[in-house]
Amino acid sequence: MLKYIFKRILLFIPTLFIISLLTFFLSTNVPGDPVEQMLNSNSEMGSSAKAQAAEKAYIAKRKQLGLDLPTFYFTISNQATPKDLYAIPKKFHRENLTKLIDKYGNWNEINTYYNSLKELDVAIGNVESDSVNADAIITIKADIQQLFVESDDNAVQLALKDMQTQTKVAENLSVLSAQITKTENLYKEVVSKPTVSKKFIPAIHWYGFRNQYHQWITKFMKGDFGISYQDEKPVKTVIWEAIRWTVLLSIISIFLTYLIAIPLGIVSAANKGSMKDQTISTSLFILYSLPSFWVATLLIMFFGGGDFFNLFPSFGVPQSTENMSFFAKFTNYVWHLTLPIICYTYGGLAFISRQMRGAMVNSLSQDYVRTARAKGLDEEKVLWKHAIKNSLLPIITLFANVFPLAISGAVALELIFSIPGMGKTAYEALVARNYPVVYTIVMFSAILTLVGYLVADILYAVVDPRISYNKK
Amino acid sequence: MSTNREIKQDYWSYVKRQFRKNKRALFSLYVVMFMLFIAVFADFLANEKPIVCTYQGKTYFPILKEYAVQLKLGKFPPELNNIIWTDTKFDFAIRPLIPYSPTSQDILNFGFVSPFGKQDVPSIRWRHWLGTEGIGRDILSALIHGTRIAFIIGLISMSIASVIGILLGSLAGFFGDKGIQISRASLLMGLLSAGLGLFYANAVHGLFTGIFVFILCLFIGFLISRILKKIPFLAPKTSLPLDIIVQRMIEVLVSIPRLFLIIAVVAISKPSIFMVMVVIGLTSWTEIARFIRAELLKIRSLEYIEASEALGFPKWRILLKHAIPNALSPVLITIAFGIAAAILTESFLSFIGLGIPPETLTWGKLLSLAQGGRSQLWVAIFPGFAIFLTVTLFNLIGEGLTDALDPRQKK
Repeated sequence: MLKYIFKRILLFIPTLFIISLLTFFLSTNVPGDPVEQMLNSNSEMGSSAKAQAAEKAYIAKRKQLGLDLPTFYFTISNQATPKDLYAIPKKFHRENLTKLIDKYGNWNEINTYYNSLKELDVAIGNVESDSVNADAIITIKADIQQLFVESDDNAVQLALKDMQTQTKVAENLSVLSAQITKTENLYKEVVSKPTVSKKFIPAIHWYGFRNQYHQWITKFMKGDFGISYQDEKPVKTVIWEAIRWTVLLSIISIFLTYLIAIPLGIVSAANKGSMKDQTISTSLFILYSLPSFWVATLLIMFFGGGDFFNLFPSFGVPQSTENMSFFAKFTNYVWHLTLPIICYTYGGLAFISRQMRGAMVNSLSQDYVRTARAKGLDEEKVLWKHAIKNSLLPIITLFANVFPLAISGAVALELIFSIPGMGKTAYEALVARNYPVVYTIVMFSAILTLVGYLVADILYAVVDPRISYNKK
Repeated sequence: MSTNREIKQDYWSYVKRQFRKNKRALFSLYVVMFMLFIAVFADFLANEKPIVCTYQGKTYFPILKEYAVQLKLGKFPPELNNIIWTDTKFDFAIRPLIPYSPTSQDILNFGFVSPFGKQDVPSIRWRHWLGTEGIGRDILSALIHGTRIAFIIGLISMSIASVIGILLGSLAGFFGDKGIQISRASLLMGLLSAGLGLFYANAVHGLFTGIFVFILCLFIGFLISRILKKIPFLAPKTSLPLDIIVQRMIEVLVSIPRLFLIIAVVAISKPSIFMVMVVIGLTSWTEIARFIRAELLKIRSLEYIEASEALGFPKWRILLKHAIPNALSPVLITIAFGIAAAILTESFLSFIGLGIPPETLTWGKLLSLAQGGRSQLWVAIFPGFAIFLTVTLFNLIGEGLTDALDPRQKK
């Protein structure tokens, strides 16, 4: 048994490693730039000094978040792509440069063109804005921003030409003209000397241990989960605040599920095939098929402050203050959590009660039950004293399976009732590209699920001595 | 009256007979078939375009024409290009049962018009039988077209899941960790050519060219490996631990909360129905693989497999012809439940506004439009009920299959 457990735990390592890679690459490929999102930059139309300050802030933030490192230990790319592409700060620029490389394959030319474009961006920032040239400056700035993210040949040429015509609007814009011509020529260079064949020779670039993945995973194993991008709190605090609600709701609803489902299962088994059994199983089946987000919508509509019965709040969690009495606190919790708990609970009833019914039917056909009946014990006693003992244990072991599911499966209801639990936090972190929170939640629920399955398997063996994991 | 009809004795006809005995499941199957009919002919049941119409002396079949236009086989007649279908008075027209498309907005009946109250329509023919939503789209029409999306999602995503699940599950179950022996040369070249294949498939543009390039790379790798086998160091055989690999893949997928994984992938990609189907399919094959693996573990040790091995049949043939057909029955059950789950997942995704393009009205999307009180009740009730009904029907079919395939139920 110990050997089996040890082997299973060893096998966790490759699984968790793959999961960590999977979440890491899924999140780094999400479109959008987390640094930009954090800074919420409005640098685009500001003065030159402002724009430069924003640029500096961007680079500093990127360094602080560790995003200035290469993503992984190595990349597999092609000869056309340079090794240090990651060093270019803005994500949108990087993406566009990759597109240009894919199209023309000549990094040297592309790089000089890109640098010239950046010089132009600085130059336009230095031009004094007045009533004559204000519109032209805005147009040129927009053109430059477009060029940074444009790879289509026609669009690039159009934007370059447009800038050239704009310089003729005012006297002090003509200083830009030379720089624009230079950029135009460099772009022509890019188009005229393509080396696309380089794209078809694979290249492996090795970056060593100074990379984003390595930093994250080593810190993670030391228990440092990083800082949430959204509110700059430690991820540990964010998750601790979230997990309280999810665990509270899960435990209450699992407890209620068992409390209701077990007697129903026993009654069904005792009256197997009767009207009662049919009714119970049919109604549980219908409950099982009801989509929880529909039920939640209807419950909120009918009981949560709509036009019907204004009994419960439609969303949110109880805010308890220090000086509330215990009873007041308790009613506050009940008042807020009744609707969510109904939705959490009803779906699981069918599963548990069916398992209970199956186990009970099995027990009732055993020899020892027949013996008990033969001794003249009344049916009540046979049912509640003899048969139940052997059927209850396997049901309890199901807990190990149900618990991790309840933790991670709560996304839907937490979103509808706006309960700040794990599911909602995870969803919001994902939408806001808050990677540290996403990684941590996914890794934790993975560990929880793996441990849950292991505990369930061990419990099966403990409960039923016929199951042995040592052979095979 | 005794019949001399022969009772078929093979396994599947036995299953069919058992399934027919379950009245609930059989009834569900008929209702599902009816819904399938609605899904296929949705365009002819609810559409703002008439089925047949005469306009300025000419006869047209606008709905059929629309199909032709979509298949790029023809163009819409220019005189019909800019007309508002619902308002135009045709000389003669046969309109569909519901004369509204899910996209047509009835400007006279917008803002959640009740199905029971007064509606501003010319005649009962134009009534919104299930009311309208905020901007005047007909709910019944949206429900009919939503059936199509729900069925497409359920069926295609489970087809993807079944193909992956059956393939991986049977490989793991039948061959185990030691069943497939390949030479070092093949292993080396296999890994190398798969890696290069991915690289070149990525370098060329277009999905099908990519797949073609990938297969080409594998083929070249295979040819080279046949030559490399002659080198003594590369000749010895190693076993491929298929079971361990497949088991790890299942474990990885099961450990990440499924809905969360789906949301992550859908949030990255552009909204499209195709993407939702693929993602649901790629994440829900684990159950099928587990069942078929367990089944094949049992079958592998049966005598008839040993017998065919002794007769010298190749292993692949035994797997395909003798083992898999006997292991498929539990997969059917999982597929039935899986379709229900896939429809539920898609509804939830569109309920929270992910995955499906914003202009497409699905059941979940429709349900999400109801977020108020009494005045919007029907917008919440009808689409929710449609989801519930479909999910229940597929679950009942799954139940019926479970009973029919269980040998203990034999009477």
